[in-house]
Amino acid sequence: MSAKSGSATAERAEQGQGSRRPSESLTREECLELFKQLYLARYFDIRLIKEKKRGRLRGTLYSSHNQEAILVGSLFGLQSADWISPIHRDMPAFFLKDIKAGWDNDTRIGMTIEEVCCQVWGKEGSPGRARDNWSHIGSKSKKIIHSTSMLAGTIPAAAGVAYADRMQGGNCVVLTYNGEGSTAQGIFHEAINYAAVHKLPVITIIENNQWAYGTPTELESPLEDFADRAKGYGIPGLIADGQDVFDVYDKVMEAVNHAREGKGPAIVECKTFRAYGHGDHDDDRADKYRPAEEVEKGRQRDPIAVCRKKLIELGHLTGEAATSFMAEGKGAGEATNDDFPPEVVAYLNKGIEAAIASPLPAAEEGAMWVFKENN
Amino acid sequence: MAATTEAPVALKKNYLTALKEALDEEMQRNNLMLCQGEDIGRLGGAFGVTDGLQAKYGEDRVVDMPISEAAIIGSAVGMALNGMTVMAEMQFIDFISCGFDQIVNMMATYHYRTAGEVNIPVVVRGPAGAYGGGALYHSQMNEAWFCNSPGLKVVCPSTPYDAKGMLKAALRDGNPVIFYEIKELYRKREIEEELPTEDYIVPLGKAAIRREGSDVTLVSYGQNVYHCLDAATELEKQGISAEVIDLRSLVPLDEETIFNSIAKTSRVIVVNEAPMTCGFAGEVVARITTKAFHLLDAPPSRVTRMDTPVPWVKPLELHVLPSVDKIVNEAVRLVKF
Ligand SMILES: Cc1ncc(C[n+]2csc(CCOP(=O)(O)OP(=O)(O)O)c2C)c(N)n1
Ligand SMILES: [Mg+2]
Repeated sequence: MSAKSGSATAERAEQGQGSRRPSESLTREECLELFKQLYLARYFDIRLIKEKKRGRLRGTLYSSHNQEAILVGSLFGLQSADWISPIHRDMPAFFLKDIKAGWDNDTRIGMTIEEVCCQVWGKEGSPGRARDNWSHIGSKSKKIIHSTSMLAGTIPAAAGVAYADRMQGGNCVVLTYNGEGSTAQGIFHEAINYAAVHKLPVITIIENNQWAYGTPTELESPLEDFADRAKGYGIPGLIADGQDVFDVYDKVMEAVNHAREGKGPAIVECKTFRAYGHGDHDDDRADKYRPAEEVEKGRQRDPIAVCRKKLIELGHLTGEAATSFMAEGKGAGEATNDDFPPEVVAYLNKGIEAAIASPLPAAEEGAMWVFKENN
Repeated sequence: MAATTEAPVALKKNYLTALKEALDEEMQRNNLMLCQGEDIGRLGGAFGVTDGLQAKYGEDRVVDMPISEAAIIGSAVGMALNGMTVMAEMQFIDFISCGFDQIVNMMATYHYRTAGEVNIPVVVRGPAGAYGGGALYHSQMNEAWFCNSPGLKVVCPSTPYDAKGMLKAALRDGNPVIFYEIKELYRKREIEEELPTEDYIVPLGKAAIRREGSDVTLVSYGQNVYHCLDAATELEKQGISAEVIDLRSLVPLDEETIFNSIAKTSRVIVVNEAPMTCGFAGEVVARITTKAFHLLDAPPSRVTRMDTPVPWVKPLELHVLPSVDKIVNEAVRLVKF
């Protein structure tokens, strides 16, 4: 993150905060839960890379390392009946959705860790029966729009889901996640313009991690702040510090409340930095096409450290707890299980065991479900 | 009309009215159905297919959309995901290319990639076809693009009866359907017909034999069906008996009706308005050669548009498109083969 956009973030963060920030109402337990969810998202990432290095896993991994506060902070304030539309960089979102209802509550309106791990491993237990890879899953009953490869391609579906919900008397909001690079797609414009015309409760989160694969932001858009795209649709464009789970929570809740009141869509740009390669296949190359100082700087404000500092200030983390599980700043090569709360490690173990135990889908399934049969 | 004593004359309806009735009746029976497209509400559609629907069902269910084909289709997919049935109108089928990604990657694959969890009852329909001087961007038949995308049904009715029955079937099908309407047929007087007063559908995937014959089979759909029928009349004068099959549905394709006909005639010509290379006629010919080769006495043939866009002025347009003469000549060649 450039110093320039960093200060712009701070400036914007001050705006419109005469009233109480939503995060100020969070209880100590909730704050500690947010903290733990950051670990959960981080550990998911680190553990999968380790699993792949051990040869237990195939497929490309798109890391959300250093961007976890965006997922955790944005999902925390949602209601169970709300919908989300995650993409490649948001894999933890599938199990973080509605996790407030209980990490082990299999009836929550979000995916279980077992389902997500089965998808990563390409097993039958995947919600999509491993028909497409990585984040390309979803669930109608869990209210997660099925992602595809086509960047920004699910925003119109999000708008349609919102329209249909309103027609059926619902009051849900739909959160869509997008990289800043994907905002250059034509469908991004068409879908948000349509949502704005109909004041649909669709919130577009832009994860501005400064890079779209090998292309830096200045070659993606002339805008300094991608939130400014909102001006063209006459909707609010908010900026959050994507490293600060509380700031993300505040800005997303502002947008969610606005949408739930029937005032229409909003864009929330979360400023962050892609800490590693585009995918794990790109980790080594990314060190070459990105200046080392930029990468070093971009990794400095680890969301776990930012949250820890805040919790210490609030008095929620004291004594030994304040310095235990120092996962911040550690990549998959450095971090060990001891850097994470044991319940976080146990949670992933549970998912991975289920994935390994789950069989591959039968080969014949490759030719099934092209059409709904009408007999 | 002044006379009041005359017996009521059964009302013949045109192709456009048939479509409108289908939409109206389906909107009536399904509260979770919605229509969306450009200018379909207040105006009633560029051709009037949705005329009167907004007044009857309201702005929430008959929606005037921004000029955003991808959003029209993509939002319909989201609505389908969340329990609704959607008719998405393309003002001209030529503009469907602007929504191409949403159709082939999002809509067509939804059922497949969710292992059957999600059905997509969305019908994308619009005016198609040449012969009207519409020029390059208001004349296309681009059905082959979608026939090559597994997960889509692709249909093209040629009569008012089929237009109504197939649109109703498409809206109830649960799969995404690309529905080609022939704009030159919308108000064509010669093809007007009485429609049943009771509810009916025409199942997708069934061809119709429009004329029986024994020497050569002419397989077609859309406007070319009428060219084939005229060609058959012409051929009869030359002592050649042609059977005319109207496919109506391309995906799924009724191979049985085609093969049964070839078993009688042993000769076949497939006619379509689209360009030749990778056009649907090529697919039909390929299926015939692989599965019914033993029934043939002459090589299966096609009459299609040349591999060109559709030009504007009449002589140019007719030069590149299939015509009665071209079909007749090809049939004569095959019979003499
Ligand atoms: C329509 C489309 N074009 C190209 C790609 C290939 N691709 C996948 S991710 C990516 C970069 C995306 O950058 P951004 O939107 O900023 O998201 P990030 O990966 O940084 O989270 C590209 C070019 C794609 N998936 N979809
Ligand atoms: Mg990016």
